Amino acid sequence: MIESKNQGYSGEINVDRDWRRSVAPTRRFSVIWRRINGGVLLRAGSLMGFALVIAYFALAAPGFLSMGNVANVLEQSAILGVLSFGLTIVMIAGGSNVITGGIDLSIANNLGLSAAVYAATLKIDQPDIVALELTLATGLAVGSLNAIAVVGIGILPLIATLTVANICAGFELVITQNTVLQANSPFLTVLAGNGPFGISTPAYLLLMVAIVLIVAIEFTPFGLRLYAVGGFREAALASSLSVNGYVAASYILSGICGSIGAVLSVALLSGSSTGSGDMLLSVVVTALLGVVFSRRLVPTISGSLLSVLFIGFLINGFQLTNISSYWVNGVEGVLILFAVATTSLVCRTEA
Amino acid sequence: MNSDPSSAAVPETIVQWLRRSSSLRYTVVLAFLLVFAFLSVKAPGFLTVSNFANILLNNFTILAIVSLGMTLVLSTGGIDLSVGTGIDLSSLVFISLVSVHQSLPVAIGGGLLGAVATGGFNAFLIGALRIVPFLATLGTLFIGESVQQLATNGGQPIYLITGTLPSWFIYIGHGSLFGVPFPLWLAVALMVAYYLLTERTAFGRNTVALGANPSVAWYSGARVRLTSAIVYLLSAATCGVAGIVLSATIKAYVPLSGNAYLLDAIGATFIGTTLHPEGRPSVIGTMLGVLLLSIVTNGLLLIGWNFYWQQVGTGVLIFFVLAMSFIGRRLRG
Repeated sequence: MIESKNQGYSGEINVDRDWRRSVAPTRRFSVIWRRINGGVLLRAGSLMGFALVIAYFALAAPGFLSMGNVANVLEQSAILGVLSFGLTIVMIAGGSNVITGGIDLSIANNLGLSAAVYAATLKIDQPDIVALELTLATGLAVGSLNAIAVVGIGILPLIATLTVANICAGFELVITQNTVLQANSPFLTVLAGNGPFGISTPAYLLLMVAIVLIVAIEFTPFGLRLYAVGGFREAALASSLSVNGYVAASYILSGICGSIGAVLSVALLSGSSTGSGDMLLSVVVTALLGVVFSRRLVPTISGSLLSVLFIGFLINGFQLTNISSYWVNGVEGVLILFAVATTSLVCRTEA
Repeated sequence: MNSDPSSAAVPETIVQWLRRSSSLRYTVVLAFLLVFAFLSVKAPGFLTVSNFANILLNNFTILAIVSLGMTLVLSTGGIDLSVGTGIDLSSLVFISLVSVHQSLPVAIGGGLLGAVATGGFNAFLIGALRIVPFLATLGTLFIGESVQQLATNGGQPIYLITGTLPSWFIYIGHGSLFGVPFPLWLAVALMVAYYLLTERTAFGRNTVALGANPSVAWYSGARVRLTSAIVYLLSAATCGVAGIVLSATIKAYVPLSGNAYLLDAIGATFIGTTLHPEGRPSVIGTMLGVLLLSIVTNGLLLIGWNFYWQQVGTGVLIFFVLAMSFIGRRLRG
């Protein structure tokens, strides 16, 4: 009785809500999902998956859970983490629709260009502070260009940021001539070195950036409005929020994250490196996977932090158990599809 | 409409002028002519027959073939980020089969099958699982990269030994018919096929309807999911042809080389939308877009810009064309 009532109800709603939904086959399924609350289940499942992966590698690879190795994973996740925070912010303010919503595909090439600027500035015997300023300025410029393209001109974020990515890649090639620019300076040595408890500075920096952003995005009016702009654009407009301003701010913040990542990358690799654009895929996976780690299945900084650590541990475990690194991309691709398929299934059947 | 006599007397404002869809087209055509004139004056040897033959063969053909598939995908409102995977996988299978002396149909069939596998995976994800095209094809792109790395021991190119190649292989890349290179014939044939498919068939109307408004298309009885599945299969198959031509031209398989065509194909398609009266992707528009991009790449090379500056140059050009395209779309409402 109750079930048949639910069926009619969900059928009506779904035809209005989602044109692609073929109502019949998923009806029963949706009722079941709603009863056990798919979102909570998915999150619990993801956390459990995380725990299982760690447990497996802890058994398979001795030393996996040692302090040194965990610190190592944190250090190696630092660059990816900072970049994925930037993308997460853009996704929060842009909304969850992937085509018209927020996405920043230029962030990895922004890192490449910013790192090249840092290394090139040191090369012409400028002090660290000048290099830092120029690097941040580069990140700001890239972020602003995205903001202008998306908010000012109204180009689809996906295509706008893809084009900006190509322009960044071009400038990076012009600066570096497709070679590695070596960079050494006292500041970089400190940055790449170890902090307290033998944990390296990049690891601390990752956690610091994460904490600052978690506070700023999840516990301040600014963050709340960012979510409002992305999730309920009309409501945000009606309550006279400057929607365009918040979206533009998200791209600029993402640009800054790109340049922070660049400084870390110059410090860790002692110079600029070619092929940083390849990181884009990992950044997108991390930010998307972060969604599964959040309670309401929305992008969050804390979710992205968990997800970058998950991927970090996974890759590290691969290395320790001698699985070829060629698998990494494929596993990441499967993870994207898994995260997207499950969240869209849950979102579709919930509500 | 013009019953009010005063409205005719009021001079048109710039915004009104821009709002007439044709004005945007004139702007793009004007930009095209300006670039052309600039290159003719500045670049020595640009305005010669041999250079144009060179543009058509070296810059135009492969991008044109890839862009055809992209046009179809974009006209349904989707996107295919895995065109590179389609090109690479077809090239990988094709070159591997040629290197073990397989016959023409086996090698070409195998190559196309490699690409169609990519498209089939996309079609499954998008049509059956209903994952958003952007993420589905991104996932495919990743998995494709892993497959290539595993298959080539981390990205080793496969070179063919030039002396032992069968004649049909040489013909695909370097042969010519009536004085026109074979790859160009192939591109033109595909162009005609795609034009007929998109403009003259029910399937073509369905793709356009899907891109214009998916829910209306669904309510009108268009088979939305089947159509999008076929679109991604066709796109991948077309990339497969591009991969075969590419590897026959350079007589090698270079892993992960197909991605270079992604942005150019998207850019060319959007240049095309600015030329179309309804502002949607179209085969003819895209081909003009590809022509513009190839001419610019070739011209910048002749002026003496190195490869790195060329990338900046074409990137900035695509950016401006996209800006114009979207401003036009916004003005038209």
